[in-house]
Amino acid sequence: MKRTTPLSRFGLHATLAVLVVWSVLPFLWTFQTSIKFTRDVAAKKPVLWGYETTANAYRAFWLDADDVNMWSVLVYILVVAVICAALGQIGRRVRHGWPWFAAVALVIFAALWRFPKIWEANDEYDFLINSIVVTVLTMIISLSIGLLAGYGLARYTGISGAVILIIALGFRALPRTAFVLPYFFGAKEIDDWLTRTGVGSWNFPLIDFPGIDTLQILDTRLAIVLALVAVNQPFTIWMFRSFFMEVPKEIEEAAMMDGATRLQAFRKVIIPMMWPAIIATGLFTMLLAYNEYLFVRVLAPTEWTLPVAIVSLTGGESSRTITEAAAASVSITLPIVVVIILFQKHLVKGLGAGAVKG
Amino acid sequence: MNRRTFWGFTVPSVAVMLLLMVFPLLTTVWLGFQKLLLRDLNNPEWIGFDNYRDLLSDPEFWAAFRFTMVFVAIVVPVTMVMGLCTALLLDRVGRGRSIYLAALLLPFIVTPVVGSLVYKDLFERGGLLAWLWEVITDNPFAVNSGNVKWLIIIQAIWNVMPFAMITFFAGLQTLPEERVEAAAIDGANFWRNLWHVTLPHLRVLILFVGLITIMDMYRVYDQVFVWTGNRFTDAHTLQVYNVRIATAFDIGRLGKGNAMAVLTVIGIFVVLIPFLWRSYKDQIAERV
Repeated sequence: MKRTTPLSRFGLHATLAVLVVWSVLPFLWTFQTSIKFTRDVAAKKPVLWGYETTANAYRAFWLDADDVNMWSVLVYILVVAVICAALGQIGRRVRHGWPWFAAVALVIFAALWRFPKIWEANDEYDFLINSIVVTVLTMIISLSIGLLAGYGLARYTGISGAVILIIALGFRALPRTAFVLPYFFGAKEIDDWLTRTGVGSWNFPLIDFPGIDTLQILDTRLAIVLALVAVNQPFTIWMFRSFFMEVPKEIEEAAMMDGATRLQAFRKVIIPMMWPAIIATGLFTMLLAYNEYLFVRVLAPTEWTLPVAIVSLTGGESSRTITEAAAASVSITLPIVVVIILFQKHLVKGLGAGAVKG
Repeated sequence: MNRRTFWGFTVPSVAVMLLLMVFPLLTTVWLGFQKLLLRDLNNPEWIGFDNYRDLLSDPEFWAAFRFTMVFVAIVVPVTMVMGLCTALLLDRVGRGRSIYLAALLLPFIVTPVVGSLVYKDLFERGGLLAWLWEVITDNPFAVNSGNVKWLIIIQAIWNVMPFAMITFFAGLQTLPEERVEAAAIDGANFWRNLWHVTLPHLRVLILFVGLITIMDMYRVYDQVFVWTGNRFTDAHTLQVYNVRIATAFDIGRLGKGNAMAVLTVIGIFVVLIPFLWRSYKDQIAERV
């Protein structure tokens, strides 16, 4: 019944185009700042086209040496991306694709590990690694305990379930400062105790990580992960609960009739149906961890992740130039752009699911 | 599912929330009554309500409070109206929808501090919009304490509008086609259709988006901090003010900061309690 004349269709696309420009203009501007020479950026009248491009800013932000050919770095990244895309495509097409996705993870790991051995990377590269470690650990811990709780809350009909859900909903609304200040205080107290009693410098044979000789909480990636897992729990359990509510009880009851325990039914029957939910929730968890600023700034004065690194290194008193700040912003945004292009459907569905349930 | 199995499934999550949310919150309340300096954390001293008295007589607290209220009062309605309009437009697009979606979603999922940094670039010296301003008004543009508030507000709208848009868009996908057609046969024009069919269908979602946006804008930190740093104190929101008094180098007062956090929590709960109560009723009703 939709009557669309060419004129109204033109108006529709024109309006949307204006909105798209309003959305992406800052990114386009920053991107072209990042590939300009400083003299063009400093020009009073913006140089919009016809300028000479350069990757100097990216080199200066990520690498120590200043004689590296950035084309070789680009080729390295592209080769890794193509291999990952190919493996991922195979994984999507075959029935049990998980070994192929595991291979993708392995390739990315190897590429990240080799990179600083080929080119001399500087501190910012460590912050990238911190970002990745924090994001991955937060996702794994948060999703696994959230899945269990979401399932329990969807199936249990007692009052305590309702109470937990409502308290979690309240926590979802609380400001970060209500948590970050006591975390900081608590971590400081524990660290003081560890130093005072000497427990911090004990040698535990099994948790003797290379490069760590004293045990502490503050200024470690562990502190950031714990904080993020905690503040992410309310969202995770609500999200998973609403997805589990859509799975009929009869499915696992049938499996349990056939002699499976509840845990087996959960693992073998329910989880395989939940992948879309896990991906959607995982995306939001990933964004939360990757984007976090305040927790990292307060709890980890030196073990920065990328957002803190960017704000701190591009502030007024730093010697970094505008082009380097722009290069940093583009570098941190690119992974997110790739993720939305790959998982847009899940993201939209996830927001919809969370929303429709209220 | 019986009680034992239920606790078996939920215990890890509940333990995390007890240990890392309930317990810290109690610590916050306790620390709010202490005199506690950042450079001397080992000697807390009980001073009763002094921190609160201190806060409520601080003009900077009231400035932050005022700006936060103005900020929420402007950003939330504008975001929702813009989001709804964009969702309605997107709903009419046939081909190319996912390209529009990806482009429009970008400001929402980008790292908040980076979103502010790239937005700020447009207004810095040599930035595109700063230059346009100069061409049009003949005056050079500089971010100052007067206009930074407006820049923060505009950038916040830019930042959260996609959330409203995508949620309303998801809601529109579930609008039954027959109802729209029935209304059209009855001769309803676009506006009547919107008012009598579409908006009632989206009612719950409008409430949901409104609540989430109020919550998120009330506690906004990252975006505002990038614009102001520790300058422009007029344009600090409650959270920026809170972090500044608690962690400022050498003069950070952790006790006062915690008292401030308690006030912020009380503030959001005033808005939230009716809604939590309603959700609780819904949950109970679901169970009998």
